[in-house]
This record gives sequence, structure tokens and C-alpha cells, in this order.
Amino acid sequence: MSDDDERGEEYLFKIVIIGDSAVGKSNLLTRYARNEFNPNSKATIGVEFQTQSMVIDGKEVKAQIWDTAGQERFRAVTSAYYRGAVGALVVYDITRSSTFENVGRWLDELNTHSDTTVAKMLIGNKCDLESIRAVSVEEGKSLAESEGLFFMETSALDSTNVKTAFEMVIREIYSNMSRKQLNSDSYKEELSSNRVSLVKNDNEGTKTFSCCSR
Amino acid sequence: MERVLRRIQRGGIHPSIKGEVWEFLLGGYDPDSTFEERNILRNHRREQYYAWKEECRQMVPLIGSGKFVTMAVVAEDGQPLEESSVENQGWLVKTAITDKRLLQWMLVLSQIGLDVVRTDRYLSFYENESNQARLWDILSIYTWLNPDIGYVQGMNDICSPMIILLEDEADAFWCFERAMRRLRENFRTTATSMGVQTQLGMLSQVIKTVDPRLHQHLEDLDGGEYLFAIRMLMVLFRREFSFLDALYLWELMWAMEYNPNLFASYEKPENRGNFSEQDPRLLKKYGKFERKYVKSGQNEQHNTLAVFVVASVLETKNKRLLKEAKGLDDVVQILGDIAGNLDARKACKEALKIHEKFLKKANRQ
Repeated sequence: MSDDDERGEEYLFKIVIIGDSAVGKSNLLTRYARNEFNPNSKATIGVEFQTQSMVIDGKEVKAQIWDTAGQERFRAVTSAYYRGAVGALVVYDITRSSTFENVGRWLDELNTHSDTTVAKMLIGNKCDLESIRAVSVEEGKSLAESEGLFFMETSALDSTNVKTAFEMVIREIYSNMSRKQLNSDSYKEELSSNRVSLVKNDNEGTKTFSCCSR
Repeated sequence: MERVLRRIQRGGIHPSIKGEVWEFLLGGYDPDSTFEERNILRNHRREQYYAWKEECRQMVPLIGSGKFVTMAVVAEDGQPLEESSVENQGWLVKTAITDKRLLQWMLVLSQIGLDVVRTDRYLSFYENESNQARLWDILSIYTWLNPDIGYVQGMNDICSPMIILLEDEADAFWCFERAMRRLRENFRTTATSMGVQTQLGMLSQVIKTVDPRLHQHLEDLDGGEYLFAIRMLMVLFRREFSFLDALYLWELMWAMEYNPNLFASYEKPENRGNFSEQDPRLLKKYGKFERKYVKSGQNEQHNTLAVFVVASVLETKNKRLLKEAKGLDDVVQILGDIAGNLDARKACKEALKIHEKFLKKANRQ
């Protein structure tokens, strides 16, 4: 179906998951990447990551998703990994309003350390815990609107919206890239100046949007 | 003590006396002390701990109650928060907290709680809520007493085994406190740095010296800072090894790093300078790793064995790292594969070899 030009074409997007401690970042990621949920999961020390691929327009798009420690004390180290991220998921826990109140701080943090994110999504996780909800859907929605973020409530435990959320971010990055690609040649320069390289590898015809693999 | 060190290197000590041996290894007791002397000291320490606990309980009645919080009890401006009312039966902060140290402490109590509920939960020991509460108590009290370090995630992984091994909560606290004497600098953080980066710097130096090719490769991948090794150093390989293997690794490392003057240097820090006399007969009393430093007359701050254990782990993956790692993500992936596949004794043995090689090369330069 895909013609010769497109065969083997591959996109690599770097995405970060940030947000307060114990909001479920690691479990969101393992639910998406491995369809697993670990009720005994431990606090993330530093950063961890997983990759997951999906197909858009017949092209393989690989997301390299970095999962970070939530405690503020780790920010000196975790923020180093924001560099070159083109997507971000900012997660809070719908049962703890303090995690929602801190969303603004995470956004600031993201903006300070990365100017390459084209798709950001606000995620209210643990929506299976309706009975002890502390943040309403409307509150989440309106914050997302005012900050220009996508919004979704998810449950890593019962899988609600997890795949949808990640794929929405990945699609947005993809369409953003293709649009810009079509629109301007100067975009390539812009990208490389942002440390996001758009490299055409002659041997494999691989296109990469990423900072982490050079 | 020498016999104990040898026994550890041959295969570890029986779980029933592990806790007590650790107290010695970590410098909690003088190796030459009598049973009676130790008893006096132990009782004194227990009294001290329970006095501190009472001090903390006065401020936060949940301490010692068998319950704990995972929800914030105060806002960052010191105002009481209702959020926690769901879980802590009856107790709430009523008036705004103005004291800075107290506020800092209260802010972190829920963080400790959030980590306690996910510390080694696959162990039946922690199915019991009162054991979780003991972990919370000890970490909270330690945090109150050490405001310069505070609480940083990962300290729970260090503390958890102590509580399992030592029945008395005060003994577990002191064992943790001694372990933290070695590790605490890793947990000292500022807005722009983490203490563990000092050890990462040492690691970088070690790899650069013993395996310049690997170092160059990592540097080319933008990994010259070795940030990917943070977890190994901060929680001392708790995530790379199973629970029991990690305990064995710790005691091997501490046995190799053993210094008979540790106790005295902790108890009477003003005498620290007096331990440098080199009596060859005493050398046997040191652990294998520490002995090399004593022999060479370097009694100052030096690299910890943990750095060399990480180096040995990197070396076991040397070929794959050089060949397959095209980005930092690959490095993380390749190192991720080691989880559960490491042998504690082999890793330590290799670490000692790398240490030797490092000292030789470093001296030549």
C-alpha cells in the first residue's frame, strides 16, 4: 500500500510524563506500553522509560515515553530529560486536589526546560475512584482549556482512556510535524536549532524527530 | 569480627542474626565492646529514640498511633487542609503553621505516607498496616531530626529492610541512621542539583580511567553525566536485585568497606584524626576494600564501593553498550535488562578488581 518512498519510514517522538508523586504516572505508562497494571509498583527514582509504536497513515510512529520521579526534590535531575520532548502528559490524581493545584507548576517547569513540546495533555487519573473524587471533570476541563491543553480522565487500573490519551498526543505531534513539513523548508532549520533533529538517514530512509538519538 | 567478615564473603549470615551483624558493620557498636557495654548503649539509644518520638507525637499525634497519612495535612502556606480528614481519624491541623522547620516537616509527611504504602508491598510483612506505620514513624522522625536532608524518595527503600530485621523499632531506627551516615549526602538536594551527582562524577572518573572507550561512547550519547545510574546508587541496587539478594549485596559491600574505627569516629568525631596509625596487625580487621585505602595511607574521604559496583555492572554490559547503544534510551534499556540477572558476589568481586585497576592507573597518571 505504501509506495517505495514511504517504506521503512519511521518517526520517533519523545514524550514525557510529569506530575506529582503517586498520581499513577508509571502505571499509566505500563498500561499503555505493556497493558499491565502493578498494584505494588514502587516510587520511580530518577527516570525510566518505555517505547510503544503505532501506525499513522501507514507509517510506523514510535513513541519513546519518559516517566519521571514525582517528588520535587528530583527536579534538578528529571528536568534534564525534558529537553527535546515533543509531547507531554501532565498527570494529576482526581482524588487528591493538591495534585491538581500543582499542575500549573509542572507546566512552568516544562516550559522552562523544553520549548519543543507541540502536544500537551492534562490527565486526571484514577477515574475509577469516583466515590472519593475531589476534582470535578469540569475543573479539569476548564484548566485544560485555559492552558491550551488536551484533556482526558483516565484509569490505569481499568484501562479507561489510557490508549486513547497516548494516541491522541502522538497523532497530534505527527500531524503537527507533517503540516509544518509541508508548509516550510525552514522548519528543518528551526527544528535542528531546537535540538530536535529531522534527519534523513540515506541508508534506511529513516526520519527521526528526536533529541535523544543522534 | 574478622571471622564475621570472612563468613559474609563466603555466603552471608543467617537471617536471625543479620540485624545484629549489620549494627556492627555500620559502626553502631564497637567491635571490641563487651555484651554488657553494648546493652547499656542499646538501652540508652532506645530511650533517646522514644524521647524523640514523643517530641514528634506532641506535634503530630499520628506518630506512634499505628496510623499515618498519605493526604496533605497542611498547604504550602501553612494553612490547615481538610483533604486529609478522610483518612486520619479525628486528627487535623487546626491553626496555621508558622514555624518554618515544622512546616517543612509537616509538608513532607504525606509524601512519606505515599511512599510507605508502596514500599515492598509484595512482602507479607508490609500487608500489616502497623508495620507500614512503623516505617512511616521512623522516616518521619529521621526527617524531623535531619532537616538539612529532609525526606527524599528512596530513603524508604533503605529503611524498609531494617524494620524487618530488627524487632525493636528504636534499634531499626538506629540501624537506618547508621546506614544513612554513608548514604545521606546522596539525598542532599538543591533546586539545581542532587547530592548523588557527586558519586556519579566519581563513577565518570572511574570509567574514564579503566575503560576510556566506554566513557567516550557514553559521552557521545550525551550520557557523560551517568544520570542513568542514579537509581542504583540512591537505593543501593534495591531495584536491580531481589529483596534477599539486595540484602546480601549490602552486607557484602559493608563488610568490604568495614573499618573498625567507624564506631569511634561516629561517637567521638573530634578524635577522627587519631585513627591513622598503621599497625599492620590491625589491617586484618578492615574489610578488603577499606584495607587498600588504609595501606596506601589515604584515610581521607574516598570513593565508596557502590561506585565500583555500578562500574562493574557497566563493564558486564560493555560490549552491548558499545555495539547496540545508539542513544541514551538504549543505555537505559540495556541496563534495565540486568534486573534480576546479577550475582551479588560476582558484582562485588568485579568491583574490587576495577578498584585495583583504577588505583593503579590513577597512580600512574
